[in-house]
Amino acid sequence: MSIQRFWRTLRFIGAYTAANVQAAMEYRISFWMQILTMVANDGLWLFFWYTYFHQFPLVHGWQNTDIVVIWAVAACGFGLSVGIFGNAPKLAILIMNGGLDAYLGMPRYVLLHASISASDPTAWGDILFAVGSFLVLVRPNPLQIALFILLVLMGAFIFTAFTIIFCSLAFFVGNTDGLAQQLRNALITFATYPMNLFSGVVRLMLFTVIPAGFISFIPLQLLHQFTWPLLGGMIGFTVLIVLLAVAIFEYGLRRYESGNLMGMQS
Amino acid sequence: MNASIVNSRRGIRQRISLTAHKYIAILYVSIVNNLTYMVEVVFRSVFLIIFVYIFLQLWTVTYASRNLSSLGGFRISDMIWYLAMTETIALSLPQLTRQIDMEVRSGEIAYLLGRPCSYVMYRFAQYFGERIVRLVMNTIVAGLIAFIFVGPPPFTWQGLVAWPLVLLFAISIEYAIYFSVGLLAFWTEETAPFSLVINRLAMILGGMLAPLEILPQPIRGIAQVLPFSAIYNGPAHTLIRFNLGQFGALLLQQSITLAISCAVLAVIYWLATRRVSINGG
Repeated sequence: MSIQRFWRTLRFIGAYTAANVQAAMEYRISFWMQILTMVANDGLWLFFWYTYFHQFPLVHGWQNTDIVVIWAVAACGFGLSVGIFGNAPKLAILIMNGGLDAYLGMPRYVLLHASISASDPTAWGDILFAVGSFLVLVRPNPLQIALFILLVLMGAFIFTAFTIIFCSLAFFVGNTDGLAQQLRNALITFATYPMNLFSGVVRLMLFTVIPAGFISFIPLQLLHQFTWPLLGGMIGFTVLIVLLAVAIFEYGLRRYESGNLMGMQS
Repeated sequence: MNASIVNSRRGIRQRISLTAHKYIAILYVSIVNNLTYMVEVVFRSVFLIIFVYIFLQLWTVTYASRNLSSLGGFRISDMIWYLAMTETIALSLPQLTRQIDMEVRSGEIAYLLGRPCSYVMYRFAQYFGERIVRLVMNTIVAGLIAFIFVGPPPFTWQGLVAWPLVLLFAISIEYAIYFSVGLLAFWTEETAPFSLVINRLAMILGGMLAPLEILPQPIRGIAQVLPFSAIYNGPAHTLIRFNLGQFGALLLQQSITLAISCAVLAVIYWLATRRVSINGG
């Protein structure tokens, strides 16, 4: 892909994200209320962990700031995923209802176009919370801030790719909307608990089938003690899961049957 | 004179019986409807397995790292059974607020208000039916998982007898709260944020993630007087560690909480229905 094409794609994503935010801001009070309540929701979870570590400091070497870091990277990664690629969780429904027709006739890449055409306003609450808690409670140095940005971007790609993989199964086995939703919930849940709690087969699963380890645990390790091999592993996994998501979607698209659905893309 | 009093009493009794039959029929239809989509109900229970597993790991590590045999009076098996029961209640909550919100926004409420039954009771019968199915399924799944992980439950027969009563109070309180939030759609653009915050407060201050006994003061004191403890902590406590005095106190707390919640619901409902206008068609 040429650099020019890369920038064009970025501008395309940026334009869609801005349009989605503007559309959500049509209902201004609702938009801000959703953001604030999501900040409150994430804050309440941190409050639980605060009370937990107040009672049991240093369980398995974990402490309050570690929880802040995993919540910040997981919430920011998830927020970017549903804030920018907010339509990806609806792909299974689109596939089932023939809703991809509206994108197939467009000049842009179908998967990207379909994924960015909606945004969840609560995502900005997650991002606001994540950035705020990371800066205020962890007090990172400039290098850690740069690393945080890189890691949450990769986390967002992993979240999105994971969603696309399980939604794309709808091409082969029928409606997978419920399955994808449950697995996304599992991914988010596992990503927000200390990884040291899990061992054996479950731990292996958390670095493969439900890659929660790559969303929060590896970033935590990198922010604690940076090593190039670990960063390489993180980048490698991100590239692998994105390619897998694209391959499954592309393969499935060949089996896609139009729903003759009349639709309008504004 | 006597005959007319007897007739009047019989009439009232008949009316109550007819009304009860009406809502029991709605409840029955709701249960049958939900049993039809059993696969979906089972599917939702999968998340329960994940939660119970995570809590098992978290608390096993906590007990082991501190060399604790008991925490706030809870042994590890008590703790896991407690959490399995609170999760059973929490994850059986239907999307009530969303449903009421949608009915208000779409205008469907205008048609439902015209039916020969109370909208609040109609929805309660439906909610109750859905909740019963989910509660039974969740209890089976959570019970099995907890049994596999930590062995037989520490329930007493008194706890098992008292459980349905305190559970009925708990889900009625939740109904009044989430129904009221749904009715806020008459005034606000979105009710989901309110529902989310209430849900999270209930999770943390209601004792869903940990028994209130282990929370530090003053958080514990605040949590104990909030209505959320009557929904999760109280019922699970009754089942795990039954105590007659605490059971009586819980029933009193639940009755007061339910009365206040219903009063708030009645006021909001009254204000809301004044804003409904039906224009033929």
